[in-house]
Amino acid sequence: MSPRYLFVALLCCGLLVSCGNKSGEKDPMGETAVVALSGDADNLNPVVANSSTSADIQGSIYPTMFDVTFNMREGKLEFEPSLVTSWEFANEGKDVILHIRPDVRWEDGILVTPQDIKFSYELYGDPEVASPRRSYLESMIQTNDKFDVDKSIEIIDDTTMIFHFTRQYPLQLFHLNLSPVPRHIYRNADRKTLRANPANEHPIGAGPFKLEEWTRQQQIVLTRNNNSTLPYPAKLERVIFRVISEPTTRLTELKKGEIDIMRPVYPEDVSDIQENNPNIKLQTLPPRSYEYIGWSNIDVKEYQASGKKNILPHPLFGDRRVRQALTYAINRKGILDDQLGPYGELAVTDFSPVFRWAIQHDLIPYPYDPERARQLLRASGWSDSNGDGVLDKGGKDFEFTLYYNVGNKRREYVATMVQENLKQVGIKVTLQSVEPVVLYQNIEAKKYDAFIAGFSVGLAIDPADRWGDINSPFNTVGFQNKRVAELLKLGLHVATERDAGPFWKEIQAILHQEQPCTFMYWVKDIVGVNRRLKHTNVNILGVTDHMWDWMIGDPNSAVTY
Amino acid sequence: MLRYISRRVLSAVPLLFGLLTITFFIIRLAPGDPVSLYIQSDVDPQYANNLREALGLADPLPVQYVKWLKGTLTGELGMSFSKHTEVTRILAQTIPNTILLTFFALCFNFILGIIIGIITALKRGSAVDHAVNITSLFVYSMPEFWLGLMLILGVSLHLGILPASGMHAPMAKYLSMPEYVWDVFKHMILPVFVLGVASAAATGRYMRGSLLEVINQDYVRTARAKGLSEFLVIGKHALRNALIPIITLLGLSLPFLLGGAVIVETVFSWPGMGKLTIDAIFSRDYPLIIACTMVSGVMVILGNLVADVLYALVDPRIRYE
Repeated sequence: MSPRYLFVALLCCGLLVSCGNKSGEKDPMGETAVVALSGDADNLNPVVANSSTSADIQGSIYPTMFDVTFNMREGKLEFEPSLVTSWEFANEGKDVILHIRPDVRWEDGILVTPQDIKFSYELYGDPEVASPRRSYLESMIQTNDKFDVDKSIEIIDDTTMIFHFTRQYPLQLFHLNLSPVPRHIYRNADRKTLRANPANEHPIGAGPFKLEEWTRQQQIVLTRNNNSTLPYPAKLERVIFRVISEPTTRLTELKKGEIDIMRPVYPEDVSDIQENNPNIKLQTLPPRSYEYIGWSNIDVKEYQASGKKNILPHPLFGDRRVRQALTYAINRKGILDDQLGPYGELAVTDFSPVFRWAIQHDLIPYPYDPERARQLLRASGWSDSNGDGVLDKGGKDFEFTLYYNVGNKRREYVATMVQENLKQVGIKVTLQSVEPVVLYQNIEAKKYDAFIAGFSVGLAIDPADRWGDINSPFNTVGFQNKRVAELLKLGLHVATERDAGPFWKEIQAILHQEQPCTFMYWVKDIVGVNRRLKHTNVNILGVTDHMWDWMIGDPNSAVTY
Repeated sequence: MLRYISRRVLSAVPLLFGLLTITFFIIRLAPGDPVSLYIQSDVDPQYANNLREALGLADPLPVQYVKWLKGTLTGELGMSFSKHTEVTRILAQTIPNTILLTFFALCFNFILGIIIGIITALKRGSAVDHAVNITSLFVYSMPEFWLGLMLILGVSLHLGILPASGMHAPMAKYLSMPEYVWDVFKHMILPVFVLGVASAAATGRYMRGSLLEVINQDYVRTARAKGLSEFLVIGKHALRNALIPIITLLGLSLPFLLGGAVIVETVFSWPGMGKLTIDAIFSRDYPLIIACTMVSGVMVILGNLVADVLYALVDPRIRYE
């Protein structure tokens, strides 16, 4: 091609591009905010939806029973009126009487009634529906081990209903906060195929937003619901959730101003954004998830071979002193500083620091102390008798395989550091990365001796699913402790959350002593927000909390809320 | 010819059936339970069992297979586990996006590749030849994701002239038709370039080799000797024969049209088949994995068939009877 043609071609391209920019100047979208998603929502029906993305979006479409906030100073959930205007407890706290607003209408104009709420709870509790939130109904009245909707929920009149529980406990209101769906839409729906019901793609809600468009794998567009009275129509015309799975691309779009909110921003990108992108505000979320190194407390081979019947102490990690030694031997602070810096916090136990009232502050995190680790290992009978640099006992070397998920850079780093740290005290670690789905499945089935994993805690303290007994769904290390089991029973049967404080503190002390696993650190997600977006309320509940108050403004004006 | 084509199509049926059967068993025997993905901290332990039943995974494997076979034969591809909707609907939404991207990428690849090939062949040994060769090799060895990210950072972030991700602007449906087309076109430029440029380098090498071989043949010398212009000699006589290997390449590239391009689609958030397949595999979405395999399988078989037919069209010496 001659240079002349090339020049003409380039010129044409340039002209076209500049034309394009001109047409882009008129904003066809009105006041719109764009939120980046790393993956698409799975479903927009709150009864069957699974992903946190779905939860973030549904909360603005469907009516919420309560307006929930998390009081950071107190460290607990607070419930304000929403669809429920007021509530009272009766019958020693076993009955909760809810007063429902009479004037809330579904998007199609039909009133939201107690019948809708009762019907929705019936769906949540139906085993055929297989709702992920079925367990919320466990403490209501059951018949033949199944949620009994008629015995659990009583409709007194058009604005009053009573929920019957089998006991009083701190999470009652939390469990009453399941979003209702319109009965007139789903009444005749087949329960078994509810998650694929076509109506899920066109949700009829009553919240401040309604769904305008959902293009799979691309975007979910919400527009203002002008008729909403719960609490009021959104202030923004539109919020778009865009799926951008590649983190670098997502960050580029944030820098360009094409998206307004992104979570998470990685710690390594922070200084670049602070220097070059003054229009982006970075906010740090309180810690809700932590990473840990699981040491199987039980002999997994024996456990598996006996069909989960024989529970014997693990030959390496069954001894508490060994587990303590491992925590001493791992430079957790060093790993934390390298990986997260100020965006992480050393974990003492798995009670999140946000629950201030429940935290046992006397516990001092295990320091990095290889010498102490060696002493403890010696005390439990491990020594290097053959001089090969690896500890042994009874002719067996202290060696094991540490599993972690492939493709997670942070965990790869942690694995390498752990291997290196443990080598210093004479322990031989082989690293093995595994595809994530397989890894989690094997962890859940208790097939690994040692692994790196993470865990996200709920907004109300409920340690039973981790430390209850060996069959607790997330007791991945097979930890068993009689006193902890007792304390759990006590803590979960008190009237108010605060009353459980002493029990939780004692559990933490035991966990700290026992080291069922090595708690590594809490992760604080970083959220990037374009400064033009005002009144955002990025908090522990998520980035879209109270999304209906968002506004678009001048990025330079300092609006506070 | 028609008989040949129909025979090939018929013989493809058992092949496809075998492919899908193998896929069916491989994904179910591979480790990783789809249901375990949905278990989170606030989830009922019973939920997994209920869900397994709802998804039809509680049946023994042979029963699942018969059910699936019945469904497939009646055109029912089932419900996607992870996306909670019919697989056919997902494919209907995704395939057009992929074709749009891959069709232009293929055009770009072959047009650029053929041009490169012709230029380097005609200027063999010159500085142009060396320069193009080195550049081609450089581009060819560049990883797609790296090139994609560099272009996003350079062209999109710093120069700000092209969008970095997606297929169109968020609210493109409010644009007028020409504006919409222009919008999609702008979004396509970077992914099409990344997808096409590395393959163009390869195509160029093939083209160069093939043209060089043809140019040295007697009939080309004859054409020159009878006084035809160089343009006619190359364009009409040499090129037609030199294109035969390129046609094979084109036929073999056809599966890519629907199979999509995993890396480029991920980097540019292009909602196509490649990304869909990968997502399906990671979420153990069996019905969707099978459907994606079926689409690629059909395309591979068709691609080979098309290549064979094209042979006959370009080269009159080849006959299928």
